[in-house]
Amino acid sequence: MARPLKSFEYFEPSTIDEATRLLSTYQPTVKVIAAGVDLIPRMRSRKIQPQYLVSMMNIPGLTNIENDEESLRFGSMTTLMSLERLLKDDKTYPALYEAIHQLSSTQVKNTATLVGNLCVATPASDMSSALCALGAKLKISGISTERTVPIKDFYLGVGQTVLQPDEIITEVIVPRPSANSGNAFLNLLRVKCDVAKVNVGVSLVLANDRCKEVRIVLGAVAPIIVRAKQAEEKLLKANSFDKKAIEEAAQTAAMEVTPITDLRSTAEYRKEMVKVLVKQALEKAWSRAK
Amino acid sequence: MAEQRVILNVNGRNYDISIEPEMTLVEVLRDKLDLTGTKISCGEGECGACTVLMDGKPCLSCCTLAIQAQGKSIVTIEGLAEKGQLHPLQKSFIDHGAIQCGYCTPGMILTSKALLDENPNPTPEDVKTALAGNLCRCTGYVKIVDAVMAAADEIKK
Repeated sequence: MARPLKSFEYFEPSTIDEATRLLSTYQPTVKVIAAGVDLIPRMRSRKIQPQYLVSMMNIPGLTNIENDEESLRFGSMTTLMSLERLLKDDKTYPALYEAIHQLSSTQVKNTATLVGNLCVATPASDMSSALCALGAKLKISGISTERTVPIKDFYLGVGQTVLQPDEIITEVIVPRPSANSGNAFLNLLRVKCDVAKVNVGVSLVLANDRCKEVRIVLGAVAPIIVRAKQAEEKLLKANSFDKKAIEEAAQTAAMEVTPITDLRSTAEYRKEMVKVLVKQALEKAWSRAK
Repeated sequence: MAEQRVILNVNGRNYDISIEPEMTLVEVLRDKLDLTGTKISCGEGECGACTVLMDGKPCLSCCTLAIQAQGKSIVTIEGLAEKGQLHPLQKSFIDHGAIQCGYCTPGMILTSKALLDENPNPTPEDVKTALAGNLCRCTGYVKIVDAVMAAADEIKK
């Protein structure tokens, strides 16, 4: 049954500056609230009990989306649904679209923000794997600091990120994939809307039948998202990018990951599924790069 | 914590009320505004029983702070009937036996309304996709999908 939330003080700053100051003042018992879709259930179950909440809702500009020749950029209050709608007919960022499209329910996506999903820092975040494969970066603001962090460097562990107590993400920047490139996202779930047993985001650039650049990012196989570096290496060294090279890369990826057994899956099964998903995702990305 | 004054627009009417910031939207709807059509069930955003429309879009009122719903136009199941006439979806749910215990029904109908507002000609597959976040433990969903499809036809007439 839904318990009431414990009391807290609520702030609704109207600038980033004000927000970062509030976060700094009230740490460590303060939390940022975007839509609250993840935060409120955790507060309800008493997993976290912040005494102060700082809402991002009234800061102008954080729902802006810009999509041009250089990159896709969106503010940290952009909802998953607005991105899903934007990317539906777009052929440039299919990995991101696929990750959002299969995620959760309409109700959740209508208010939940993509950045909120990133900040939960679950090892199984579909958004993180897709965005990392696309080489996305996060713009972060603190009291007197501003920095850009590649998403691959954003996570430190389960529920842990590089965000300092006064820092918030303001924008996500996804560089536009170059010509002859393809990207894809796949995951494996017990039932729809569940958390992934394994997920994979891939992006690749081809040149003369060879693989020039590749990123294979795996989620739910380690405390944070990981790149299958040895598998990527195999693809870059292969004389031609073909079914055989993909097969070998998939096997290598399965060998190099060290997942755990938990309630969603066993380590052995996860490894086996890494092989299957990496193969399928590479084939999908390949067909898009042709 | 001290109460704060908020103005919520629900079913076309502005409510000027004092609430604690920790009150979720569903708690305010039910306990402050006596609009008990919206249900509380899982409290985790899994079941969809607390679905209301915010600016026309289905949202979870149990995972939303009421204070953050200010400035939005909120529609609950109580806001669907007009002049004592049930909305075609409400009528269709009754006619098709798409209601058993009724606990999921307000959420089902509101999510369906948002679907039909946007897509007046849905396929059964569209209906199932739209309703993926609304769980029903009685009907087996078949009658619910039938009811939404029939309501879509009725609305077009």
